[in-house]
Amino acid sequence: MASASRKHNLTGVFPQRKKATVASGKDKRFDKSSGAYDDVPVGGASLGGGSAQPAALITSRGGKQDLSGDYDEIESTLRQFDMNMAYGPCLGITRMERWERATRLGLSPPSNVRDMIVNLEASQDCLWEGRV
Amino acid sequence: MVGIWNKEEADMKNEKFELKKQKYKGQQYSQLYFFRLTFTRQYLNPRIKERWPSYIVTNILGLDEGKVCVVIGTLYKQMKLKPNILDEYSKERSVGGLVVPSNFTDAEDYLILEDESGRVKLVGDCISPAVYVTGVVVAVCGQPGKDGEFLVEEILEPGLAPQPPLPTRKKSESEKYVAFVSGLRCGGPETNPLQVQLLVDHLTGHLGEEQEQSLSAQVVRTIIAGDSVQLQAQALHGQPLSSKDQHKLIEPIKELDLVLTQLASAMPVDIMPGSKDPANFSLPQQPLHKCLFPGATAYSTFVSATNPHQFELDGVGFLGTSGQNIEDLDKYSLADDPVDYMERTLSWRHIAPTAPDTLGQIFNALDKRITAQVKHHMVVSDTLVKKVPFSDGPKDVLLSLATKAFEH
Repeated sequence: MASASRKHNLTGVFPQRKKATVASGKDKRFDKSSGAYDDVPVGGASLGGGSAQPAALITSRGGKQDLSGDYDEIESTLRQFDMNMAYGPCLGITRMERWERATRLGLSPPSNVRDMIVNLEASQDCLWEGRV
Repeated sequence: MVGIWNKEEADMKNEKFELKKQKYKGQQYSQLYFFRLTFTRQYLNPRIKERWPSYIVTNILGLDEGKVCVVIGTLYKQMKLKPNILDEYSKERSVGGLVVPSNFTDAEDYLILEDESGRVKLVGDCISPAVYVTGVVVAVCGQPGKDGEFLVEEILEPGLAPQPPLPTRKKSESEKYVAFVSGLRCGGPETNPLQVQLLVDHLTGHLGEEQEQSLSAQVVRTIIAGDSVQLQAQALHGQPLSSKDQHKLIEPIKELDLVLTQLASAMPVDIMPGSKDPANFSLPQQPLHKCLFPGATAYSTFVSATNPHQFELDGVGFLGTSGQNIEDLDKYSLADDPVDYMERTLSWRHIAPTAPDTLGQIFNALDKRITAQVKHHMVVSDTLVKKVPFSDGPKDVLLSLATKAFEH
């Protein structure tokens, strides 16, 4: 059929959404010299709208996308512990070391926090570790 | 007639300044200062209750104008002449700035007290900025004034730590001595190898008549406190060396090894690294590596020690450094006598308060330099250049709380 033979290439009209890839830093462009496409929509400039998820959502937990914006209660209590100035700065020291140091200095940090740190799900470093 | 004396012996217990693969991932020293403040606060609180029972202790944010209160914090000294790394980049560089003064104090220096909540400038006649340095934790009593200043009425330092009593010597035992030596500078252009050899001969008992030999027999241990080697500075510029230059470079260490082997065969020897020795730069300096001393390491009496070095012999405690901390205090404060600096560090309960500000310090979340319990003798090797007569190191400054004696 005539309609079937004509390439219904509507990709030029609607910008294609690229498949979501993890932190792909590669710049994919239409390489005119070789005539090869690099999965960029035909005739369309890549607006960057279809790029990978912003890196901020990718946590240190194994590089998976952390699409849930919430964190659970455990993490929330641990963050309160991190921010408490009575136990000193939280950067550059693991949470466990900071808790033990606080105990040694006689500051009596809450013992339920220690139980939470020992729980393997919780991160050993504070939120800003490595980012500041 | 040649007599035979037996070398006296003493028990030795060792130390806590060795770093066993500790790693610190942080970038700042905030952990260290926090620890220092909180730890020293424990000692200050009882003293404050004793001295100023009626005043309340607040933190800096809680200061009320007009009320007398007590604040505990870390001192920071603002110094005009303190070398700043940004001076390299400043656009106006005066030509006269090439001569670096050895002491950076100035009449316009002032002290700032800082704790976790804020800082406040200290004013008043009773505190003299020339005496204090950055990093000392103190308690001040006074009134906050206008413009964010604090008028100090009295200042309280942590004070001398409790000292365990000196063990009494049994009557059957003879006196024992410890020899302290520093600044051997083997291989240096101005050192006389004869002097070093005389020292070794004296300590090992090969010199002199019966009297001197009996004295050497009573020396229980020798501590070599820093600056033992003087390497050629030109060779150390990072360029590849020919084999001839390499041999020249190693000569001083080989000489030192010979000296140490002779000493180690006679008595226990501890060697501490100094500021110019091949060890790391920051305090606590780790022990000099055993491969530098192939001859001396064969003896079990040879110990390569850290700087600072803390040990106990027969129940008498010793704490010593190779002098970098006192030299640094000398640059940033004033005193009539180097022994005054040592007294101050004991009163502040911290051997090197200027670290990490002006003295190199390995990143450490725990500030181990605080002396919770003062040992009986504190030795600092005075590493300023002075001639060394062959006897046991008058370059060493010895401060003892029990007695001002050189021996115990």
